[in-house]
Amino acid sequence: MTAASAPLVSIQSLHKSYGPHIQVLKGLDIEMKPGERVVVIGPSGGGKSTLLRVMMGLEKIDSGAITFGGKPYISSSDLAAKTVIDTEVRRSIGMVFQHYTLFPHLSVIQNLVLAPCKVRGEKKASALQRAQALLERFGLGAKANAFPAQLSGGQKQRVAIARALMLDPKLMLFDEVTSALDPELVAEVEQVILQLANQNLPMMIVTHDMWFAKNIASRVIFCAGGVVVEDGPPEQVLGAPREERTREFIDRVFHIKQ
Amino acid sequence: MTLDFSVLLRFQEALAVGLWTTIKLTLICVVLGCSLGFLVGLARTSPSIIVRGIASVYVEFFRGTPVLIQLFWIFFCLPLVLGVELSNLASGVIALTLYMGAITSETFRASLKSVGREQLDACIALGLPRHVQVVNVILPQAVLRAVPTLLSNCVSLFKESALVSAVGMADLMFVGQNISNNTARPVEVLTIVALIYFAIAFPLTRAVTLIEGRILKKLAI
Ligand SMILES: Nc1ncnc2c1ncn2[C@@H]1O[C@H](COP(=O)(O)OP(=O)(O)OP(=O)(O)O)[C@@H](O)[C@H]1O
Ligand SMILES: [Mg+2]
Repeated sequence: MTAASAPLVSIQSLHKSYGPHIQVLKGLDIEMKPGERVVVIGPSGGGKSTLLRVMMGLEKIDSGAITFGGKPYISSSDLAAKTVIDTEVRRSIGMVFQHYTLFPHLSVIQNLVLAPCKVRGEKKASALQRAQALLERFGLGAKANAFPAQLSGGQKQRVAIARALMLDPKLMLFDEVTSALDPELVAEVEQVILQLANQNLPMMIVTHDMWFAKNIASRVIFCAGGVVVEDGPPEQVLGAPREERTREFIDRVFHIKQ
Repeated sequence: MTLDFSVLLRFQEALAVGLWTTIKLTLICVVLGCSLGFLVGLARTSPSIIVRGIASVYVEFFRGTPVLIQLFWIFFCLPLVLGVELSNLASGVIALTLYMGAITSETFRASLKSVGREQLDACIALGLPRHVQVVNVILPQAVLRAVPTLLSNCVSLFKESALVSAVGMADLMFVGQNISNNTARPVEVLTIVALIYFAIAFPLTRAVTLIEGRILKKLAI
């Protein structure tokens, strides 16, 4: 295998359940190459959020493993029924959630500098400078000292993205980051993510917005029933799906849209 | 019978001294009680079952018995158990602090629980170490959320503090009772004393409502 094609992330037969009765991921295999932007689509309850949460180390797994840059960082040990997470590797991954999850008691800029100062020991002055620059870039320069409750949903979500970027992630996970937004605010957030795509930041995106999926994806994965049903370039999966289940889903989603 | 409030004019100074004692006692017990309540609130979320057990026995006991009995018990029985003499100030402070600690620990516990799972997820996604999660994210939000209820707890304590007059502490209530005995004008005296309590407690309860609105607005995201 050449270096260029070595996977950035490799998910191997990932199983995950919530309690004894809710099996969500039933043997998921995904390989993601450097620079890829993978959009994950699928029916509600299909386990898309669960997949991202597992990759972020927020959930335990039943079995399987995930490697990042060749290093295994999430695995399950059969003996102790425990999930082993390499927190050092995990730090190279950033995640943005549907509901912003900003720290409400901190101003926008304090939200941004908390992690760099506390996790990496960066000097406050340098972190503040980087944070201000990032906010300017996202059109939020004037909001540095506002509190999250004073922002619109679109602004909050852009702050959340900026906060994750402060740690220079090597992979970004976006879980339906525009689903909670009023329709007129969706574009401003998607623009920011497209900006990051132009810089070749690898990302995995869960979205129900097919226009956005088409525009940002270098690859689309259709997940249903806890497994990967179809995996290919956007023109194939969104335009001319090979699998019957994918076609049904795409038809339904586009039908609702129009 | 005619009401004559003018008899009280002679006792302005005594009432002021009593009020000052009440305020001082309340403030001391607010500070000590809230600190105790904070620690006990944390203890009740401890992973150790022993720590949790001790904390909840304490809280349930002090929440489930009349403050007056707690006060008498500390004034009369504790000196026998410990073999030391307690001044009425000391027993008043101990009793009210323990009472305040018990009720505010519930306030702190509830507010700790109200900091949602999503905030923790965000902390983990940012790689924040455990102590940073607690000190910089969870505790500030929990304390902020606790403020309105804590203020209500303080108002309750201010009113409950009248009980220390029963063990002979010269607080506002005690002074009032004395005046009423000396003048045989219980209606006038007790009315005025009640109004003094009300004049302080009422603005505080209004403030609670105001502050609560502000904090909820700030934390709503
Ligand atoms: N913490 C949890 N405890 C129990 N069940 C859960 C939990 N989280 C998710 N589930 C269940 O797991 C299944 C997959 O959920 P998940 O959120 O991953 O789906 P999703 O594909 O993201 O759906 P959506 O498109 O609605 O966001 C659902 O049936 C859900 O009810
Ligand atoms: Mg989801």
